[in-house]
Amino acid sequence: MGVIVGDILNWLACALVFPLMALPLAALASRARLQSSGLFLVIVFAITGAGAVFIHLVPALTLSASAISIGIFVSAVIAIATLVYIAGGAALAAAKLGALARAITQTAGRTVMWLLLVMALVQFAIVLLRYVFGVNWIFMQESVTYMHGIVFLVAAGYALITDDHVRVDIIYRGASEKRKALTNLIGTYFALFPICLLILWASSPYVARSWAVFEGSTDTSGIQGVFLLKSLIPTFAVLMAFGGFSIAQSAASTLNERET
Amino acid sequence: MDLSALETGFCLCTFAHWLDILMVIVLCGFLIAGYPVALTLGGVALIFAVIGMAAGVFDVSFLKPYPSRIFGAVSNTTLIAVPMFILMGVILEKSKIAEDLLDEMAKLFGSLPGGLGLSVTFVGALLAASTGIVGATVVTMGLLSLPTMLRRGYDPAFASGSIAAAGTLGQIIPPSIVLILLGDVISNAYQRAQLELGVTSPDTVSVGHLFAGALLPGLMLVGLYMAWQIFVAVTSPSKAPPIPAEELGSRREIWISALKVMPAPLLLIASVLGSILAGAATPTEAASVGAVGALLIAGGRIAPKTSFAAGRPAIYATAVAVLLLILLTSLFDLRLGREQISTSEQIGIALAFLLCAITPWGIFTSLYHLAKTATLSPVVDQTARVTTMVFTILIGAALFSLVFRGLGGDDTVERALSATPGGAFGAVVLVMFVMFVLGFFLDFIEITLVVVPLVGPPLLMMGIDPIWLGVMMAINLQTSFLTPPFGFALFYLRGVAPDSVSTTQIYRGALPFVGIQIFALGLIAVFPAIATTLPKLLYP
Repeated sequence: MGVIVGDILNWLACALVFPLMALPLAALASRARLQSSGLFLVIVFAITGAGAVFIHLVPALTLSASAISIGIFVSAVIAIATLVYIAGGAALAAAKLGALARAITQTAGRTVMWLLLVMALVQFAIVLLRYVFGVNWIFMQESVTYMHGIVFLVAAGYALITDDHVRVDIIYRGASEKRKALTNLIGTYFALFPICLLILWASSPYVARSWAVFEGSTDTSGIQGVFLLKSLIPTFAVLMAFGGFSIAQSAASTLNERET
Repeated sequence: MDLSALETGFCLCTFAHWLDILMVIVLCGFLIAGYPVALTLGGVALIFAVIGMAAGVFDVSFLKPYPSRIFGAVSNTTLIAVPMFILMGVILEKSKIAEDLLDEMAKLFGSLPGGLGLSVTFVGALLAASTGIVGATVVTMGLLSLPTMLRRGYDPAFASGSIAAAGTLGQIIPPSIVLILLGDVISNAYQRAQLELGVTSPDTVSVGHLFAGALLPGLMLVGLYMAWQIFVAVTSPSKAPPIPAEELGSRREIWISALKVMPAPLLLIASVLGSILAGAATPTEAASVGAVGALLIAGGRIAPKTSFAAGRPAIYATAVAVLLLILLTSLFDLRLGREQISTSEQIGIALAFLLCAITPWGIFTSLYHLAKTATLSPVVDQTARVTTMVFTILIGAALFSLVFRGLGGDDTVERALSATPGGAFGAVVLVMFVMFVLGFFLDFIEITLVVVPLVGPPLLMMGIDPIWLGVMMAINLQTSFLTPPFGFALFYLRGVAPDSVSTTQIYRGALPFVGIQIFALGLIAVFPAIATTLPKLLYP
């Protein structure tokens, strides 16, 4: 079971999230239909190739992909490129997917945010029960921890698209729209996406270990779902990547607008 | 020519041992560009991890604990206080309770020389004790009080300086979010320092300790601000003219309306802070009480007086029920599950059950009215966004410190600190200076989460008191937020100030308060007892 989850995560990282990330770049580079889907292929394989060369050169890194995962990855990339062609070019495909990614992160964030209220009320109930009646249920206290984790891990992508993450805006605030878009595009490719990939990569054994034993609470009367809570870490990465995709897409289209 | 040297990367070998320092410099450069700080922290760290791997000085296994670091932010029970305090602050802000307070205080103090300035400081301190969100207080007061003060003939520099300074109080007066984060980080650093020194039964520092330590210095700052404002108003009355008393209406009416708005927030703040300081409640527990209390106050402000089932009576009943519960608990032993429970205690328990049954009534009435006036959703929404913002920084900072450690950065920091002339004192001065400069372009949260874990253990190993250090850092960063030309509070104020106030005036107004801050820092450096006495008394 645990092994399967680990594989699913790797698959997500390699075949779905990563190639999609290249889409806004392809959209930026070209608007023509065939050209942009071809460019998409080139960009993805160039980045993958560079990564493979790097891994090969650094002896300390032991990343080995099985033939099956490579197969899944390559076929997913080609399938996406085909879809991009059918959709009418990278810009259109990215715009559609960007709207979808935006909707997903926003819905996720605006749903889990209500847990904040529930969490405060449950914690208040815990306080009353403990200080008045001396009663203490571990599952209640743990439920607060769960809600807390769910809120900030699932809503982080939402805060990304609402632009709530603190920026040093000495220069940014006064910058032109185009310069802002460029900052966001570069930042998303050099910071956000690599972080998401790192979290997906590093968390897959971590989460798989937890799933392998269906890790529960350290206390028998607690909530037996630590493995689910830990699965939120890769979920966080995926939602952040979705948010980043939407940002990169709109940044790319802003940059394109000005150029034409 | 030796080709092998070129092949292994001539420049990388030379710089490999400087990568940790280079990483910090590059980080500063990238931060200025304006991409979200949390992600820039992680992104720069990753780039340097890759360079480090290529140069053979970084081991990839340093990155493997990253998921468990992230999970640490989930499972850390102290940090759960953060979203609840944010919720409490946002409720108070969005339900216009802060506005009410400012109005009433302005009327109450208005006829005194410098009265409007005093009211801003006073309300700033109150808001500080309830929220501690950096920008919120400055923006609220800048929007509400600055126009009034200007209309009343206040010197623009003096008025904006007062507002910016009062706004930064949120960082130092407990319970503040930054003190919670700082407390968590310092307690970890303290444990590590003691482990390295080989202390077998290490002392612990809690968030409560830091709250207790910061209380007196915070109040001292409030006192110093007010003293300065009175001094200015008395020596140059044209800068802060009193409002003619007859314009404000009768004294009696002012007092009555002030007494209507004041007690509830004051009681809330006192009970939240008091229960933490008394050691009766953890910050998380107190924060939940604070959030529910803020909810009730907000509900009481908007609920109709007439409706019994879902109006103010419900909210008052709940407030009274909670107070009675506290009274009952202090009179009787109400714990369930004991062998023997006397008759009077049984009656007490039955009463307590009844009172507990009343509390949801007021809470849900408040929620209902907040939802009906379309306040609830924005409150929860903003709380969620601010919360994830804070925790994303935590996640980015965790990656940064993993890589920084992997590149040998903590050794570098330790060597730099121990090589500083002047021993422990010199090291503290150096760290303070670095943090002060960082405060120009980084938020308090980032500095706390990135810098303090690195400098904390070596500093504490030199025998410095952790509470004193925490308080000094907090005031130092608060000062840095107020210092022209880069202070955060000044940016926030600039954003909401009318165009008639020039940026130079804002800068000029902030300077005296910066002076006060430095004076206070010096005072606490010379008399550490200001920060350490209260924790010693409360937690012997």
